[in-house]
Amino acid sequence: MSPVRPVVDRDSAEWWALLATGVLAFQRCSRCLLWRWPARALCNGCGSLAWRWEPASGTGEIVSWIVTRHAFLPDVPAPYAVLSVRAAEQPDLLLPGAYAGPPDDPRLAIGAPVTAEFVPLTGEGAPAALLRWSIIQSSA
Amino acid sequence: MAQSGGGAVLRDRTAVAGVGWTEYTKNSGVSTLALALRAVRAALDDAGLEHSDVDGVACHRVGDSASAVLVAHVLGIRDLRFHLDMFGGGGTSHQVVAQAALAVASGIADTVVCWRAVNARSEFRMGGTGRAAPDAPEFQYQLPYGYATPPQQFAMLDRAWRHARGATAEDLGRVAIAQRAHAALNDRAMMRKPLTMDEYLSSRLIADPLRLYDCCLETDAAVALVVTGAERARDLRQTPVLVSGAATGGGHTLFSNGRADPTVSAAADLAPRLYAAAGIGPETVDVAELYDAFTFLVPLQLEDYGLVPRGETGGFYADGHASLGGRLPVNTHGGHLSEGYVHGLNHVAEAVTQLRGTAGERQVPGAEVALTTGQPGYVGGTSSALVLRRDG
Repeated sequence: MSPVRPVVDRDSAEWWALLATGVLAFQRCSRCLLWRWPARALCNGCGSLAWRWEPASGTGEIVSWIVTRHAFLPDVPAPYAVLSVRAAEQPDLLLPGAYAGPPDDPRLAIGAPVTAEFVPLTGEGAPAALLRWSIIQSSA
Repeated sequence: MAQSGGGAVLRDRTAVAGVGWTEYTKNSGVSTLALALRAVRAALDDAGLEHSDVDGVACHRVGDSASAVLVAHVLGIRDLRFHLDMFGGGGTSHQVVAQAALAVASGIADTVVCWRAVNARSEFRMGGTGRAAPDAPEFQYQLPYGYATPPQQFAMLDRAWRHARGATAEDLGRVAIAQRAHAALNDRAMMRKPLTMDEYLSSRLIADPLRLYDCCLETDAAVALVVTGAERARDLRQTPVLVSGAATGGGHTLFSNGRADPTVSAAADLAPRLYAAAGIGPETVDVAELYDAFTFLVPLQLEDYGLVPRGETGGFYADGHASLGGRLPVNTHGGHLSEGYVHGLNHVAEAVTQLRGTAGERQVPGAEVALTTGQPGYVGGTSSALVLRRDG
């Protein structure tokens, strides 16, 4: 698929730039240490305006996934899977992303552990990358 | 948590005095302005009012329809006492009516017309197909993954909900089938041919797990309501349908906002306030018109509005309780799935019709109290709902 480039805004530009360097980061409140994503100016836990970017583990679990079979976007051929991933750092950090495996992969399951990969975006525009999740093989 | 008992102030002080529909089509051939005016004209005729009686206007839209103020100008309202032009989708649909009721109850306006006018098939399809993406910063995190349209966003929630409840495709097929059977009794409905389970299960996957028949229609249509004071309504042409309770709630945004469980909607938060505002409990509801952009939203709301215990909606449908003649008929017009998609407002219109007792073959006998709801708060992050009551 040929991805649409993200329409980056002033709050999110740094997040996308970090992603382009292979770092998945979230904002973290400097006062109460709550994580948050996407980029917002204020902590919805304690109301503080003070925050910093903090690198995350890049791991999480599948909350849900879809397999798009009807090609909605002319440049994106179906089928393809999109995951919603709960980041390991905090239960309400839900991130969409592509899936590294085939769309009908029988390993896709709610609760399956995943790890982030970074797919650099080429073409015009500021450096950016997309998230692609792969399932962590159980060592057992 | 903030305490608010203010919702009861609205109880039974205003009424829906008129309802109007345009024809439902796949290509109206006219502007959304024309659709809005036709529906408003029909609603005023229904109420026995003239356009010169209107001093307030209210609608919701997502950049896809004529503005409220433009409609007011065309109606010739020179001293516009109330106008609401709500940006938002189905989650805001019932809030529009609630705000109109508040404006009337508080004396700001005497008579407010509410409408939703869409060319949702021929002109502006939901989710940006055929036009620019919606103006929401969150889309930057979705569009690059080819993940932006309503079926895709709701499919993500659908799978999580099915998994948590152990719901099957057949469970959701029964929702589509029951609503189609209702639509068969509704002259207005776009889809009236009975739907079988085989047809449902063999319909193509759009965004797995969503099938074609899990998805609502895309419709060119408008629906309008006339909201005025309860006393005034008693002097007009129709049996007044009182606005007994209204509530809005915040919802999920699909991203981090303190909500970790996507399988319980904002409706679960607003339902207790809604029932308290109306002075009833869920057991009082005779008929429910629940926002159904996709099938799973119906059983999800049956749970979140306390109408059916969590996890028991599959049996509720299998036993026919959601059908006409059942314990709680749901989406008696066929809903967005089979009547047509007028973005929440046709659910209010159907509730009014049922409470007037004029729904003909699909009438719920003796219906006195209706619950009607907007999108339960996922995409767009807000929800709203109304309790309506037959006057007398």
